[in-house]
Amino acid sequence: MLTTTPPVAAVPAVPRPRGRRARLRRGRLATVAVFLAPALALFLLLVVAPILVAGYASAYKWNGFGLPENFVGLDNFTRAFGDPTFRGDLWRALVLIGLSLVVQLPVALALAMLLNQPLKGRGVYRLIFFAPYVLSEVTTAVLFTLVFSPNRGLGDGLARWLGADAGTIFADPDTVLFALFLVISWKYFGFHMVLYLAGRQNIPRELSEAAITDGASAWQAFRHITLPLLGPTIRVSVFLSVIGTVQLFDMVWVLTGGGPIHASETMAVTMYQYGFRRFEVGYASAISIIMFVLSFAFALFYQRVVMRRDTEGAITTRGVQR
Amino acid sequence: MTTSTRRLTLHLVSIVIGALIVVPVLFGVLGGFKDNGQLATNPLGLPDPWVTGNYTGILGDGVFWRQLANSTLIAVATALVVVGASAMAAFVFARFAFRGREALFTLFAAGLMFPFAVAILPLFVLLRTMGLLDNPLGVILPQAAFGLPVTIIILRQFFRTIPAEVEEAATLDGCNPAGFFWRILLPMARPALATVSVLAVVTSWNNFMLPLVVFTDQNWWTLPVGVQAFQGQYSDDTARVLAYVVISMVPALGFYAVAERQLVGGLAGGVKG
Amino acid sequence: MTAHLSRRSLLGLAGLGAGAVLLGACGDDDGGGSAAPDGPQTINWWHIQNTEPMLPVWAAMAKEYETAHTNVKIAIQPLENEAFKTKLTTATQAGSPPDLFQSWGGGVLRQQVDAGLVKDITDDVQPWVGTLLPAAMQPYTIDGRIYGVPFDIGMVGFWYNKDLFEKAGVTAAPTTWAQLLEAVGKIKGAGTVPIALAGKEKWPGHYYWAYLAMRIGGLEALQRAAGDKNFDTPDFIAAGERLKELVDLQPFQKGFLGAEYGSPDGQAATMGNGGAAMELMGQWAPAVQGSSSTSKKGIGDKLGFFTFPTVDGGKGSAGDAFGGGNGFAVGRKAPPATLDLLKTLLDVDHQRRSAATGGVLPTAKDAADSIKDATSKVVASTLASATGFQLYLDQAYPPAVGQQVNDSVAELIAGAKKADQVVKDITTVAKSQ
Repeated sequence: MLTTTPPVAAVPAVPRPRGRRARLRRGRLATVAVFLAPALALFLLLVVAPILVAGYASAYKWNGFGLPENFVGLDNFTRAFGDPTFRGDLWRALVLIGLSLVVQLPVALALAMLLNQPLKGRGVYRLIFFAPYVLSEVTTAVLFTLVFSPNRGLGDGLARWLGADAGTIFADPDTVLFALFLVISWKYFGFHMVLYLAGRQNIPRELSEAAITDGASAWQAFRHITLPLLGPTIRVSVFLSVIGTVQLFDMVWVLTGGGPIHASETMAVTMYQYGFRRFEVGYASAISIIMFVLSFAFALFYQRVVMRRDTEGAITTRGVQR
Repeated sequence: MTTSTRRLTLHLVSIVIGALIVVPVLFGVLGGFKDNGQLATNPLGLPDPWVTGNYTGILGDGVFWRQLANSTLIAVATALVVVGASAMAAFVFARFAFRGREALFTLFAAGLMFPFAVAILPLFVLLRTMGLLDNPLGVILPQAAFGLPVTIIILRQFFRTIPAEVEEAATLDGCNPAGFFWRILLPMARPALATVSVLAVVTSWNNFMLPLVVFTDQNWWTLPVGVQAFQGQYSDDTARVLAYVVISMVPALGFYAVAERQLVGGLAGGVKG
Repeated sequence: MTAHLSRRSLLGLAGLGAGAVLLGACGDDDGGGSAAPDGPQTINWWHIQNTEPMLPVWAAMAKEYETAHTNVKIAIQPLENEAFKTKLTTATQAGSPPDLFQSWGGGVLRQQVDAGLVKDITDDVQPWVGTLLPAAMQPYTIDGRIYGVPFDIGMVGFWYNKDLFEKAGVTAAPTTWAQLLEAVGKIKGAGTVPIALAGKEKWPGHYYWAYLAMRIGGLEALQRAAGDKNFDTPDFIAAGERLKELVDLQPFQKGFLGAEYGSPDGQAATMGNGGAAMELMGQWAPAVQGSSSTSKKGIGDKLGFFTFPTVDGGKGSAGDAFGGGNGFAVGRKAPPATLDLLKTLLDVDHQRRSAATGGVLPTAKDAADSIKDATSKVVASTLASATGFQLYLDQAYPPAVGQQVNDSVAELIAGAKKADQVVKDITTVAKSQ
């Protein structure tokens, strides 16, 4: 008999739900709105609005006083891409990212694996390795200006002891970028190491132990079992590293000012120079928009292509390397 | 390799790396005990004589303690605001399905990619219009706003890991979403909350530009802004700058040491892909 | 209840926010201090003498003024140089300049004037501006109107270590460029670093190029270049080439490209510790040498001063001075008492007190007798008898051009660009203003 069909099936496909279900649905949406409201209000007013203003200003030649009046369209953008200093900034960003991926992250990974072994004082080591992350970039720069000061610094003393000449590491256009990379690594490798440690702790020991019992070497166990399982963590770490490198400002500004002769300049430093020292706010805004677009494009690409397996299609990140 | 040789090697490696980390900081600490002359002629050795004036001068100065109090107040308030707003937002991002959710989430994430320095002029005008200059809220609210992306992202990931059964059980018991959020979800999320709090506090503690621009009344200056007192137009009193910078580090490091256990736990809970 | 926040409403909200911000940027348009001249008023005073010796002096002067004028409160904000530039930029761009603030005059002041942010004080200062050195007033006079008043003025010259010169066999201070190069060679041969330079900061380097341009092309060349926005002239190219001659002798200290000016191992410290024979620097040089040195006293009476040498065949005069100072500008919303405060700070007694600290070379003509330090006296008298005056290029020209001059000269000194390329770069920026 057709009466055995549940009454629900007989409800017509009308958009307006009724009854308890409707109340529940509307209640849920109200909850969503209420819970989102504070964050959204803060964000729209204090973050999105300034970004839009910067976007607007980037189409003008403007010295920051009064209102932008001199519309130049995309001129600021073409100027940026034609400027040797800015092009150099892009190149230097790539170099720094490359160095991080090839040097900094593997070292952090290796140390995380080491520290994962039962070791007395492991907690103390973790504490010390992460500590530089907590210091401000300005503090780090002040310390390292001393460390690397020519003729007098720690670096120079050490180098002389080793027979080399490190006194001018920040003064030589050829080496300054690498000196900068050293300082960046000092500050941030602990952060990545802790990230890998946390990820490692989520992988059951039994997996690699079983492999070793089956005859695999420690290295093989690591390479074929642990490493792939660490994949999501590594991908997050790489993402943060790239975004953070693009934004690098405070440390560079205090350590080298971008010099000598732009050899250590980053996009953010160039932007600050033009905005706050040369009073070319329209151009500086254009640079910041370029930085934003590049980061965003990278994030979208990374999420779609690299992290597809890890997530359901949303950007997932861990802390920020600023 | 026997286990004990292995242990020894590990210790050795860790100590070397630890030394590389600690030595520059130690350098700074010792530098605070010298004067500028010694810094030039004897940068590597122990101070001779030990100049305690730099450290005692700062610690004995009421201005320093006021700046410390300001930094603390602003950092704690920022953390409260950002974690509160983010937890609420992350909750709905993680556990509700609604149209535009992903787009909205991406909007928040995009906030990560924008350099703060460019926002400062429009932000300043806005704060002035709202009458928030020389007001700690003028620093707290923008800092919280810029901290939303990171915090929401971390918390959302963590909230996702709470099994659906827990939520269902709560609903069956008559709990509405708000009750579930407040009484069950948040207590379970302590490690993640600790993590984002530490990040918020540290970022606020080290922020220089915003307090510089917002506060004209020096009574509101925070620690990073206060370091200028030792930097002149043409020369820095580097020894005093070092002492100041070292002292300013201590609360931040202290806070981190206390929260550290939670931090690693929090990161571990959320990294699951 | 909408099921979701539509993209449109989001953008709308954001647009509203952006609109509000831009409208806010128009700023309040009430011009001039609306307070009655004798009514209660607060003066916001921002200065950059945030350390000894001037910090307590300004503070004391403000207190005295408050006591004498009970209706006036003065809110002093001493700021470090770089922090001041950042904070002032934001404040002025947002349309809220402070009432009395540090100004170096020149291009930045002109921009502030064009934006209507600074008060035209020509009429207010007319009665007493004659007591100040005319050369000092130049940078603060824009198109014939006065917008600021200097309290400190000086010039750049060579500060040298008499002992090290003697040791190298240089018996007299060089008066021509050729003699200078010769002296450098001798000093280098004697194993001493001839010149200390803070390559990282760029502004000390531009002094060389500016002076060479002045000596070769005369003051008119510099002024014409600013007017025509063209630096691509034989005189400027020649200046770059002369500088190259000096740089090729490798006269600077090791690691100079990364050296700062005032740090414990920087340019001033190198001089103060007897590590180099000379530096081209402004009137504050002896004070900073002293404070940066190990002995805290610098090289004492071994320090001498000679003016920048002439260049053979150059059109410039040996008496032309290059330098600058510090002054105060008045914000457009400043209360009426601000001008009276300014007058008080610049009167002879106050200037004498400032001069006595050694931190300031006074602009009030009659206060010159309070200068204590011997070399400072030399600088002051040289300046008083100068035939012409040029403000630092990174201040005189519009900010973008000034910064480009610094950058370009740094590139020249580092050997990255040639003299003719350098002038083209500067011209490009000048023309785009």
